[in-house]
Amino acid sequence: MLFVRELHSVVGRRAKDFEAAFRQGWMPALAEGDDARLLWYLDLAHGSGLSYRVVTVTAVADGRAWERLAQRVQTGDLRAWARDLDRLQHRSAAQILAPLPWSPAVASLADVPTTGTEHEAVLYMEDTMWPYPGRLDDYVEAAGKVYAPALSADGAQMQMHVQLALRTMPGAGRSPEVVLVQRLGSVPRLVGLLTTDIPDEITGPGSWMHAALELRDQWRSRLLRTATWSPLW
Amino acid sequence: MLYLHETHRVAGRQAAEFEALFRDEWMPTLGVSNSARLVWYLNHAMGSGPSYQVVTVTAVQDGGAWEELATRMAAGDLRDLCQRIDTCRYESVGKLLTPVPWSALQEVVFDEVPSDGRTHELSLYMQDTGWPDAPLDDYIDLWNDDYWAIMQRVPAEHRLLEIIGCFAVAHGTGIRPEAILMQKIMNPELLGHLLTDTREYDPTTWPGSYMAKGLELRDQWESKLLRTSSWSPLW
Repeated sequence: MLFVRELHSVVGRRAKDFEAAFRQGWMPALAEGDDARLLWYLDLAHGSGLSYRVVTVTAVADGRAWERLAQRVQTGDLRAWARDLDRLQHRSAAQILAPLPWSPAVASLADVPTTGTEHEAVLYMEDTMWPYPGRLDDYVEAAGKVYAPALSADGAQMQMHVQLALRTMPGAGRSPEVVLVQRLGSVPRLVGLLTTDIPDEITGPGSWMHAALELRDQWRSRLLRTATWSPLW
Repeated sequence: MLYLHETHRVAGRQAAEFEALFRDEWMPTLGVSNSARLVWYLNHAMGSGPSYQVVTVTAVQDGGAWEELATRMAAGDLRDLCQRIDTCRYESVGKLLTPVPWSALQEVVFDEVPSDGRTHELSLYMQDTGWPDAPLDDYIDLWNDDYWAIMQRVPAEHRLLEIIGCFAVAHGTGIRPEAILMQKIMNPELLGHLLTDTREYDPTTWPGSYMAKGLELRDQWESKLLRTSSWSPLW
């Protein structure tokens, strides 16, 4: 399974129309076939970054399924939908991601909801990392062995769970690049992270934060909130 | 057919090594397969933009072939080579391109693409990337109807360039709306004229011109002057 991630810069005055285009257009259009499903529709939380940014994640079965989807958008039944979307967004930046060996799996495409059923909104932290040149594999391995298990361990600072661990595929984004889609289990702990210095035992010698500096020191976190109808949440 | 377009920010001290890895290993390795071919290796001409930037374009048969190539790069026989390439660059940014219907370049015949590093003279390309603020289809139509059509009416000896290919970014692999022209400079002397032309193509002085009409659809684009290496399969 591959994942098409898009960051949309939405026209603020058309934000509701933009959301409706995905809820009433994209999601059901994909549900007509077996190639792809919309997984997440996420708003970048106001107050934590750029305004009117939306992240969508669409799963496709494989490379051939992606190509069929791309053809629908470029010349097929989704062309008019894409043309309308061009008026609702300033632009979108997209990448295609493949799961890392230790990534949790997404349920089969057939099991992804497509009805837009309402639920609570949930906060995610999406981390994008750029390992040093030539250190991508080392970083992936270390993150899988050390970072991911520690995140959700008893007594962990954050109570956060990796839903997907991904790398950008060649020809579909920036490389080297790793993306973690992480579901926050505790908003108070997030607020604690934001309002206090990180303790020395988290950043000092022997810690993940310290050791991982050998592999990367550049990343970006985005706080994303699911729409109340997002298929996954 | 898809075209895997990558822009590499190369470590200057390792520029020769980077080029050798593509010439001596990437190109011939793909050359024995039926799924992909390196077609262009282009250096961003120094003096016209960023330093040590390389553009490569690799043709792949279809989405399945691209996924197969990506898997080979991440965990297969190309993994070691890709790791060595990684150590010679800061990063690369890639996208998959599909030819628009009127593009001269649609598919390349793999058997006709050399992969043995044979050398030839250098060529200069102007790669234009445009970001319209109107529907993408309208912008691509403008290129065909008002840019390429007009240019084709210019006698060959007075023509600055030829459009070799026009591409849209395949869904999910880059910016939307974005389209790309790969244009071969046919007359470098005319390029000199273009660079020193002081006319301003604003709508009031050039009503009805392509440049003025284009402003209705976009005012943001980027031109890159790219020079083929002496061994680039296409040039």
